[in-house]
Amino acid sequence: MFDQQLANGIFLGAVYALFAVGYTLIFGVLDILNLAHSAIFMASSFVALALVRHGMPFWAAFLVATAFGGALSVVLDRVAFAPLRARGVGGGALGPLISSIAFGIIVVSVVRGIFGPDEVGYPTGAVLSANLHLGHATFTAIDLSVLVISLVMMILLSMLLKVTPLGRAIRAVAENTKAASLLGIDVERTIGLTFLIAGALGAAAGILIGAQFNAVGILMGQRIELKGLAVIILGGMGSIPGAVLGGFLLGLLEVFSVAYLSSSYRDAIAFAVMFLILIVRPAGLLGKRAARTA
Amino acid sequence: MRNMTRVLIAAAALGGTLAAATGAGLAASHPDLKWTAIFDATGPAGAYGTSQKNATELAQADIDAGKIDAGGQKISIDVQDSATSPAQVINIMQSAFGSGTSLIIGPTLSSEAFKSDPLAVKANISVLGVSNTASGIPAMGPCVFRNSLSEAQIVPDVIEAAKKAWHVKTAAIIYGDDDQFTKADYTIFNAELPKAGVKVVDVETFHKGDVDFKAQLTKIKEAKPDVVVYGALYAEGAKLLAQARQVGLNAHEIGGNGFNSPQIIALAGKAAQGVIVGAAWYSGAETNGNAAFVKNYTAKYAKSPDQFAAQAYAGAQIAAAAVKKSHPSDAAGMCSALKELGSVQTVIGPFKFASTRDADAHGFIVQIKNGTFAKFGD
Repeated sequence: MFDQQLANGIFLGAVYALFAVGYTLIFGVLDILNLAHSAIFMASSFVALALVRHGMPFWAAFLVATAFGGALSVVLDRVAFAPLRARGVGGGALGPLISSIAFGIIVVSVVRGIFGPDEVGYPTGAVLSANLHLGHATFTAIDLSVLVISLVMMILLSMLLKVTPLGRAIRAVAENTKAASLLGIDVERTIGLTFLIAGALGAAAGILIGAQFNAVGILMGQRIELKGLAVIILGGMGSIPGAVLGGFLLGLLEVFSVAYLSSSYRDAIAFAVMFLILIVRPAGLLGKRAARTA
Repeated sequence: MRNMTRVLIAAAALGGTLAAATGAGLAASHPDLKWTAIFDATGPAGAYGTSQKNATELAQADIDAGKIDAGGQKISIDVQDSATSPAQVINIMQSAFGSGTSLIIGPTLSSEAFKSDPLAVKANISVLGVSNTASGIPAMGPCVFRNSLSEAQIVPDVIEAAKKAWHVKTAAIIYGDDDQFTKADYTIFNAELPKAGVKVVDVETFHKGDVDFKAQLTKIKEAKPDVVVYGALYAEGAKLLAQARQVGLNAHEIGGNGFNSPQIIALAGKAAQGVIVGAAWYSGAETNGNAAFVKNYTAKYAKSPDQFAAQAYAGAQIAAAAVKKSHPSDAAGMCSALKELGSVQTVIGPFKFASTRDADAHGFIVQIKNGTFAKFGD
């Protein structure tokens, strides 16, 4: 049983990690709590499903819907965040938080209007669902895809932030928008691009998770949102590898709580352990303690 | 004197004619009887509530067209969406009381009924539950009725059928522990299985909205039960079935009440094959008017009706039959009419209320076979 439960934990962790990677780019790096991220995650999953149902191969639909998620995220920034930024309302204020909730509700309502309230699945055979075996553990090809893609995204995103001019610009904007602007960085463009990337990552996560569990529904974003937030904080704000590590840790904690303790107390046990970790490391597993003082 | 008698007879005859004419006039000008249907057309229970809403709208059209016989009485059913929110159920109910409704049909979930039905009891308005399955619903008040079979009425038959066909000796139960509907599955199966001589070897739980159940299913596989009982709504249920196959769980399977939806087959596909479910209705049931109901519903909404649709439609048939029999004009009359109904033919089969205002009817045991619900054992 241990082999299977370890695999269960790793693959569940990959789901959390995949969601958290896109989430942390806006929340962890830009310090904007974007509660519409889960709506983009969900809407893109529906777009991919609709394309597959119209005969498009899954991976082609994946690319189109990912681009859609990125574009929708840019619209989100322009509609919900940019006007408030222009009036000097910062990311930490409540205004942007509320406007992101409003945008999320609008997206959810539109998707419900178009696709209905039912949870729906992919047509048989549209997604890689073959069973794979490793030792005593069984998992599916799409489970493995989610694991590999979450790790690849983590590496690419970390590199983007560290070594590319855009990554440097994003970090500069995150640090201080005025200083970044004085240094010649186009702040609005940088934030827009960050939203584009985060939206595409959220979309990719939504599509893959929808395919993995063969269930695309209106509530799929809301269900994972809170855990995604916990994972980012556990991993360390602003740390992409931290978000992935946090995701795997939460997945393993949940699975082993069920396997060796009680499924009724799964979340209580997992979150109690996270609570203890944060007492010992308040900045999260890989987060750097804020050293600056006024 | 004789003339006087003639005059009196003539007057009496005229009076009788006038009275009859006035009576007929009253009947003809009887105001519409207003009913309010409260269903969760959106929110987590949206699929069930949408079926109920659709079926009730179909029933309204059939009442208007005389296909459901309400004895010529005009009835208007105001169908409202309670969005899977008990607070919204209460709001809708309270505004319905003020607008002269004589019957509340719904709400969708037992958990909502327990919060809202006492308000209707206080306002002396009858309630007809068409999907509440938890114990104690009609006990809330003298005018609270239901046509949905409670779990307690169906589960013992399901266990007996499973024992007979599969010779099961051990069982595991997995259920959603944060929903009254799915928790009721656990409570009843956990009580009834040992009574039938089946040992419960493992009990696992999950929460509404979970997507990954492999940890629980792996644990159940280790306990090697002959049968697994799922207390889940269709969204989680479909994933449970698919993931049970993935972890190699090969036990027989029984679905709770939440599995009574074509959605479970649509979402789980082949993984749903072989599961048995106790149901108040299934699409192939050879009950009065069922074939036409399935045909008309499918034509109107481009999808098959489920048990929730059938029970909602039957609810309208039952209430209309009560109107035809007793001609109620207000809420108190509606309550008496339902109490005095007797037996009536509906799409869910011959129906009558027990003295407890619960359904006095039998369910069906159905099995998912080749993508459809079929009678178990056929």
